[in-house]
Amino acid sequence: MTEVGSGHKAGAANAVAGGAVVPPLVVEHVSKGYEVNGEIVPVIGDLSLTLREGEIISIVGPSGCGKTTLLNTLCGLLSPDSGRIRWHGREVTGQPQNVGYMLQKDLLLPWRTALGNAMLGLEIRGVAAAEAEDRSRAMLDQLGLHGFADHYPSTLSGGMRQRVALARTLVHEPDVLLLDEPFAALDFQSKLLIENDTASLVRQGRRSLLLITHDIEEAVSLADRVIVLSKRPTRIKAVYDIALGAERTDMIGLRQSPEFSHYVRRIWADLDVVLQ
Amino acid sequence: MARPTGASKPTPDTAARRRRRKRLRATALVLATQVAILIAFLAFWDHMTSRNSAAAFMFGSPSAIGGFLLQMARDGSLWRDLYVTGSETLLGFFVGNLVGTVIGLSLWYSRFVSRVVEPFVIAIGSIPIIALAPIIIIWFGTGLISKVAMSTLSVVIVALVTSYKGALGVDPDQINLMRTLGASKFQIFRKLVVPASLTDIFAGLKLTVGFALIGAIVGEFMSSSEGLGHAIFKAGSLYVIPKVFAALVATIALALILTFIVGKIERLLMPWRRL
Repeated sequence: MTEVGSGHKAGAANAVAGGAVVPPLVVEHVSKGYEVNGEIVPVIGDLSLTLREGEIISIVGPSGCGKTTLLNTLCGLLSPDSGRIRWHGREVTGQPQNVGYMLQKDLLLPWRTALGNAMLGLEIRGVAAAEAEDRSRAMLDQLGLHGFADHYPSTLSGGMRQRVALARTLVHEPDVLLLDEPFAALDFQSKLLIENDTASLVRQGRRSLLLITHDIEEAVSLADRVIVLSKRPTRIKAVYDIALGAERTDMIGLRQSPEFSHYVRRIWADLDVVLQ
Repeated sequence: MARPTGASKPTPDTAARRRRRKRLRATALVLATQVAILIAFLAFWDHMTSRNSAAAFMFGSPSAIGGFLLQMARDGSLWRDLYVTGSETLLGFFVGNLVGTVIGLSLWYSRFVSRVVEPFVIAIGSIPIIALAPIIIIWFGTGLISKVAMSTLSVVIVALVTSYKGALGVDPDQINLMRTLGASKFQIFRKLVVPASLTDIFAGLKLTVGFALIGAIVGEFMSSSEGLGHAIFKAGSLYVIPKVFAALVATIALALILTFIVGKIERLLMPWRRL
C-alpha cells in the first residue's frame, strides 16, 4: 500500500527533471461516468498518470473496473466528465494524432487482404498508394507475415490476424500505442511471440505504450511500470516500477525468475481477488 | 510387401482430389434426388390425366404443357414474352434496388433523418402493390413504363430496409477503430459501411428478383398486349389450362435464370466470401 500515489510523484518528477521533454501523454484528475436510468454511475473516479517517452506502462485492474472506458476516453472516443488529457502538452478535441489503438478483436475488414488492412490508416490519411503499399508490406514483413500480404483475413490464424492488426496500428508510426487486451484471445505461444515483437518494435522506435490487460504476467513481463487500478469508481491503487531491465529477450526465462514472481504475487494481492 | 506403409500413405494431392470427389458425389446425390422427385411428380400427373379428359381439362398434363411450350417456342411468342417480361423485371429490379439501396445506406448518415423517415417507410411498405396497379396504369399508360413502375415499387422498400439494416449492423468497435485512424464520416461510410452492408444488400437482391418479377406480371395482368403475364391471363380466360402452365413454366425459368445471375455477380463482387 506504500506505492499509492507514487505514479503522481514520478510523473511530476519527470516533467521537472526532463525540462524541455514534454511527456507524450499526461492524464490529470480525469473522471467519467455513465448515465443509467437517469442516474450517473461513476466509472472512473479521479485518475492521473503520466506516460513518458519510450515508456511501457501496463494497467491491470479487477474485471469491470472501467479499463476500457479509460482507454476510450484517452483516445477521444469518449470525453471525460472532468479533468484534463494532454497529448504532447496540448489538450485535443476529438481524436489525438499519432496514436495507435488496438483491441482484443482484430477488427480486420474481411473484404480487404492483409495488405489492404495494414494500409487502411495510411489510406485514410491520404498517403500516396504506392508509398502506403511499400510501408505496409515492410511492416507486415517485419511482423513475420512475409508472403501473406495477399491473403484474406478469413484464411489467417488468430495470431496472424492479430499481427496484421498490429501492422495496421504501427504502420503510420504512432508515438503512443494504446492497446486494450490485444493478445487476450491468443494461445500461449502466439501470445509470447507477439508480445515480444510488440515490445521490441516499441522500444526500437522510442515509442510509448499503454497496455491494458488482465494478464498480470503479461503486464509485468512487458512493462517499465505497472499501474494497478481499484474497483469502480476507478482510482490508482498502486504503482510498481518493474526493475527487470529493458532488454527482455528471454520471455520464458524471465517468467521463471524470482523477481518476476515477486512482482506477480504482489500485484495479485493488490487486485484483492476474492473467491465467492 | 517391402514398404506397405509408403504405398498406402496418400500424398496431399490425392487426398485433396479424394475430398473433392466426395463433395462432388454428395452434390450429385442431391441433384439426382431432386430430378427423381420431379420425374415422379410429372409421371403421376401425366398418369392421372391421361385417361380422364375432365381431369386433363382442369389440370392440364405434362405432355400437353410440353406441347404448348414447343409450339410457343416455334412461333416465337415464347421468346417475345420472355424478352418483354424479362426486360420489365430487370429494369424494375435495377431501378428499385438502386433507389432503395442508395436511400437505405444514406439513412446511416443521419440518425435524425432516419428517425423522421421510419414511420413513412413502414407505411409505404405496408401498401399492397397490387392495389396500386390500376392507378399506375392510369398514370403511366399500358406500355413498358407502367410495368417497370410496378416492378420498381415491389422492390424499392425491401431494398431500402435490407440495406439500412446492413448499415446499422456495422460493428461499433469497427467504427471506433476508423475514428482513431482519423477517418472522416464520409471515409467511414465509403470504406466501412458500404462494403460491410454488401452481404445484406445481396440478400435483398436475391429476395427482390422474385418481387420484381411478380410486380411485372401483375402489371401485365392489369393491361398489356404482350409478356408472360399477358400470356397467362389470356390463356386463363380462354380456359386453355395447359397453356397457362406452359407460360408459368417459362416464368419459373426466368426467375431461376435471374437468381442465378445475381448469385454469380455476388460471388464476383465479394471474392473474400468464397474462401
